[in-house]
Amino acid sequence: MSFEYIPGNSLMHRLDPRAKVLFFVFVTALIVVVYDPIIMLILLGVIVLMYRLSSIPLSKLVDITRVLLPVFVMFLVLNYFVYPPRGAKIYFYLLPGIAPVTIETTLVGITSALRFVLFIWLSRLLTFTTSVAEILVAMVKMRSPPEVATSLGIAFSSVPLMINQFSTVIQAQKSRGSQIEVKNPIKKAISFIPVVVPGIYLTILRGMNVARTVEARAFTYNPKKRTFRRRIQFGRKDYVFLTISGLLTAVVILIRMLYGWFDYAFILRDVLKLV
Amino acid sequence: MTSEKSSVISCKGLTYTYPGATDPALDGIDLEVVRGEILLITGPTGAGKTTLCSTFNGLVPHFYGGRLQGDVRVLGRDVNKTSAGHLSTVVGMLFQDPSSQLISATVEDEIAFGPENLGISVEEIAQRTNSVLGYIELDDLRKRPPFALSGGQQQAVGLASVLAMKPEILVLDEPTSNLDPIGTVNIFSLLRKISREEERTIIIVEHKLQELVDIADRIVVIEEGKIRLDGPPREILAEDAVLLHEKGLRPPQVSLLAHKLKEAGFPITRIPLTISESVEVFSKPLQGSKQTLAEPLWQEPESGRATEQSIIEVENVSFQYPNGTVAVRDVSLDFYKGDFVGIIGQNGSGKTTLVKLLNGLLKPAKGVVKIFGLDARASPIHELIRHVGYVFQDPDSQLFSRTVYKELSFGLRNLKVPRDQWDMRIRSVAKLLLIDAFLDEAPYSMSRADRQRVAIASVLVMEPQVVVVDEPTTGQDPRKRREIMELMKALHNKHGKTIIFITHDMDLVAEYAKRCVVMKDGHVILDGDPHSVFLQYEELEKTHLKPPMITLMFRELGDRFDLRKDVLTVDEAFQCFKTRLGDRHVL
Repeated sequence: MSFEYIPGNSLMHRLDPRAKVLFFVFVTALIVVVYDPIIMLILLGVIVLMYRLSSIPLSKLVDITRVLLPVFVMFLVLNYFVYPPRGAKIYFYLLPGIAPVTIETTLVGITSALRFVLFIWLSRLLTFTTSVAEILVAMVKMRSPPEVATSLGIAFSSVPLMINQFSTVIQAQKSRGSQIEVKNPIKKAISFIPVVVPGIYLTILRGMNVARTVEARAFTYNPKKRTFRRRIQFGRKDYVFLTISGLLTAVVILIRMLYGWFDYAFILRDVLKLV
Repeated sequence: MTSEKSSVISCKGLTYTYPGATDPALDGIDLEVVRGEILLITGPTGAGKTTLCSTFNGLVPHFYGGRLQGDVRVLGRDVNKTSAGHLSTVVGMLFQDPSSQLISATVEDEIAFGPENLGISVEEIAQRTNSVLGYIELDDLRKRPPFALSGGQQQAVGLASVLAMKPEILVLDEPTSNLDPIGTVNIFSLLRKISREEERTIIIVEHKLQELVDIADRIVVIEEGKIRLDGPPREILAEDAVLLHEKGLRPPQVSLLAHKLKEAGFPITRIPLTISESVEVFSKPLQGSKQTLAEPLWQEPESGRATEQSIIEVENVSFQYPNGTVAVRDVSLDFYKGDFVGIIGQNGSGKTTLVKLLNGLLKPAKGVVKIFGLDARASPIHELIRHVGYVFQDPDSQLFSRTVYKELSFGLRNLKVPRDQWDMRIRSVAKLLLIDAFLDEAPYSMSRADRQRVAIASVLVMEPQVVVVDEPTTGQDPRKRREIMELMKALHNKHGKTIIFITHDMDLVAEYAKRCVVMKDGHVILDGDPHSVFLQYEELEKTHLKPPMITLMFRELGDRFDLRKDVLTVDEAFQCFKTRLGDRHVL
């Protein structure tokens, strides 16, 4: 589930959801600006540390990363096709005549793959430590209409129910001899019809039931005056956290702009020379 | 009555037709409900009970559309002119299906949702949440997601979220359909307490009439959109017990028995409604009667007897779900050819898990399940279902075809049955289930009871020897329940099928099952003839179950007059009286 929330009482858990959104923006900016595998590795290390501090089991991180591995490899390989380096030393070709392998492309490939992993790790860190309810309150505070926030909340909390319903449908059809585990892709697609049709029906039914329930619990009575129980408040910890992470981001970006550091070329030029 | 009570709901000539329908769902209803009253509305499925309830909070006509005629006023407000959102602030409504009305991520959020909409302060909401969670005794579940709770717990949470809004009028549509017998009694006493202490008006739609005898102030029987009976429950349930029974409803068993004995000429002075009343009433004719040697024997039908031949063997089986819940613990039992087994137990006691192990839907984690000699773990499910058919509770989770005929052919195609046999098989099963007239119709356009028949037919067409039905009777009125069980009985007696069914309805088990398996916390705690199982009053109570009312009455009568106590149905009770009293007392 992509929105799993792990309850806890760490700094990440206690931060105002809006602070977390800003933090997310900072790190995303870093990811865009910095093009350096070493800095990426350091940032990844920081994220792992934050997972530890938020007491999220590292096994979760391993699970996520396992799914990302094929994408990681894809980033690496595809890069040899789209990045034609000028004057770089070609070691060999991946395919005869195309996709030359050079130090530069390898570094760029690794960097983009790491950026991708970092991005996913970061987003999951935030969803692990922020409940949907908090996100919704943050939305309302950021001026989105309460109807939108509430609908989103109901949609998210309906997901597990819908998963249950789908697995019941699958079991019911298996009990009628449906063989869903077939290899042939066309047969497989056809075998899904008996699952998808009742699934759509149940989803529509769920929508109707939710609408009826929301109406019967007086949601349409006066949505503007609705109470939101969760109060979020920007506190000192939020300001401190944002100031530090904001400053660090700004410094890195400035150095990058003024001195051209934090870029794979910088590694080639300065770091490799030392070796 | 101390003072003139003010009217809170008034309907005059209420007639309502759903959009697209030709016949009205409600037809000239005149009804006055006064403040603080507990009104019980009952009637067969499709009578218009839910539609009437939905009028009180304006879902009819504002949410469903259609035309509402007549004058309907709720706390003085004209329903036709007041929005459902406004009416919902004073009329709290609990719908039938518990899971359909749970919309939040945690129990706590669910309960707070209504009060939040009313714009109540955060502190007040917290206080209300605590108090209603206390009412339903689920305080320790407040952070759990509602979808992960059992059906009974979900229903309690649904009720709590309506109570938290503190509406002046509570409308509860079958609030105990998913509760066990003892849970049901608890909820009804809670409602009475709320009504007495806070002078709230409560409208309950229910089929469980005998539990409400002393709770409801008034009972209204609706049929075909019209009010048929209206009066105090003592009067209606006692005097019209036979009529209600004929309408397919379920009046107290002791009242029915009294009518039956009276008609046969026994001196019955008044019609009892509760167990204690009935003990008193039935003691009179029994006084001075002598114990006869001839005790009535419970008739065994000639066909359909269980044999010694075991067809499903469950040996030391345990099952654990991926989330860590151990649902079945070290269960060993055999099912025999010709069995007619009712499985009962509280929500979450492992009933459904156990039966899903019987056709390979779930594979045992420990132990062995042998289905017609095949090891369930080593055999693919499409082999096992040739022997054991499994009918799911909700027809909507399986029907998908354009016509009933196509729906029924699905299993045949999957099992690679030769095409020339299809037509014969489909038509004979359709005839058996009385759906042969609908073969060219779309399943989705049929009534729920008929859709359920299609779902059963779609399994029967594969000709399994064993038929497993999971809660075939939930959400149906007593007549529809009996129809389904009569069908199972016919399959058992005439077609030699072995039947295994799960139910919450003790009366059905008492009447139909030849063997009763009681589960608790994943264990089988009782297994045997229902006549002996229902005598284990204490064991049953430990798992929140209760024998039928008639059995509980004979528990007391039996001691006093040396009668046999294993009496499960009104018919058996009647036999018992006849054997004991002979024609001696007949006037």
